[in-house]
Amino acid sequence: MDPKKDAIRQALYPANMRNRPTPTGTWRPDVGRAIQHAIPSVQAHNTIERAWLLHRRHIRKRREAELARKFDCMKKAMDELANIDGHLYYEANRPENPRARSVVEQQMTKGLKASEAKTLDARIRGLFPRELRMPTDTPSKTGWNYHYKPFTRPI
Amino acid sequence: MFERAYYSYQARLRRALSNPFPYDFYFKQGSILETRFNMEEQKRERRAFGPTFGKEDDFDKERAAANRAAAQQLAEQEGESEEMMPRVHPSDEARDYKSLDRKGKRNLYLLLKDANDAWRFPQGSVEKGELLHQAAQRDMYAECGEHMDAWIVSRNPIGHYKPPMTLSPKGSPFPEQVTFFFKAHIMQGQCRPADNVKDFAWLTKQEIESYVDKHYWDGIKDILSDH
Repeated sequence: MDPKKDAIRQALYPANMRNRPTPTGTWRPDVGRAIQHAIPSVQAHNTIERAWLLHRRHIRKRREAELARKFDCMKKAMDELANIDGHLYYEANRPENPRARSVVEQQMTKGLKASEAKTLDARIRGLFPRELRMPTDTPSKTGWNYHYKPFTRPI
Repeated sequence: MFERAYYSYQARLRRALSNPFPYDFYFKQGSILETRFNMEEQKRERRAFGPTFGKEDDFDKERAAANRAAAQQLAEQEGESEEMMPRVHPSDEARDYKSLDRKGKRNLYLLLKDANDAWRFPQGSVEKGELLHQAAQRDMYAECGEHMDAWIVSRNPIGHYKPPMTLSPKGSPFPEQVTFFFKAHIMQGQCRPADNVKDFAWLTKQEIESYVDKHYWDGIKDILSDH
């Protein structure tokens, strides 16, 4: 008899007999003793929960305050720009079409090879570039790439 | 530290309250993998609850020894697991402020030391007919060299700084200057400063405070990230 099929059948349709602990629907056999060892007391558990929520609240408030400060800086800068130069202010706020090549880029592509034109098109204004690295748990094996061949794109 | 303690406390609680693991479904009966899993599970039980839990069977020493040998054999067969890189880089210990591997968790900002020995961000002037973010890119490459793969995030400035008013020798005030800052990310490469720049450094926000003038710091501190 194939033990695999029996194992699958037992997992899918557990037996009705509840005389020993089964994988589904029951506690572990020494659950009372385990909880005694895990929790110091009811009051301690509540205190731990409240401390955790407070900790998360502190972190959240700090993050929100930093964001508010940064936004305020940006707003002040834009107001200053509006006071100084209306044309620059208008241009800073204007959304541009990411799918179109700008005039400067079109002139550049006339002198480039096909592969270089592809590299030029690869980075689209207004979108995050592919090379931007996501934060990870541990650093990369290769570390930072200090050898980069310059390829300037018009902005 | 508090987070680690809380997570291990919650893991212990979950272990105490959850159903027993259906090892007979996941592991073949009598296989080496099952013995290794059971050994590791006993270890985890003891670590979570204390030495009174997850006790190995005392009566069969030979079987215990055979289990350990089997687990050893399995480890040799599988080969070595991938080693994680340590979170502290040699440039952290060496305090190499030009390195971009330093302080992996934190954000690093580029500061330049100009001819007057003052530390500041890369800056320059706007030419006629040029927009602000285009001027920002041009000035950045002019002062920091082209060997940086930098991406300016948006057309909008993120902050501005006005230096304190100075008087000319005659007593009349100089025209007001304002510097607009743009946010950019560097993805590859390194800064190669131009000739009018004496030195550069990649610093966290707290380190910038000790390098930069008081008035400048008050102007830029709200633009930078704390972490």
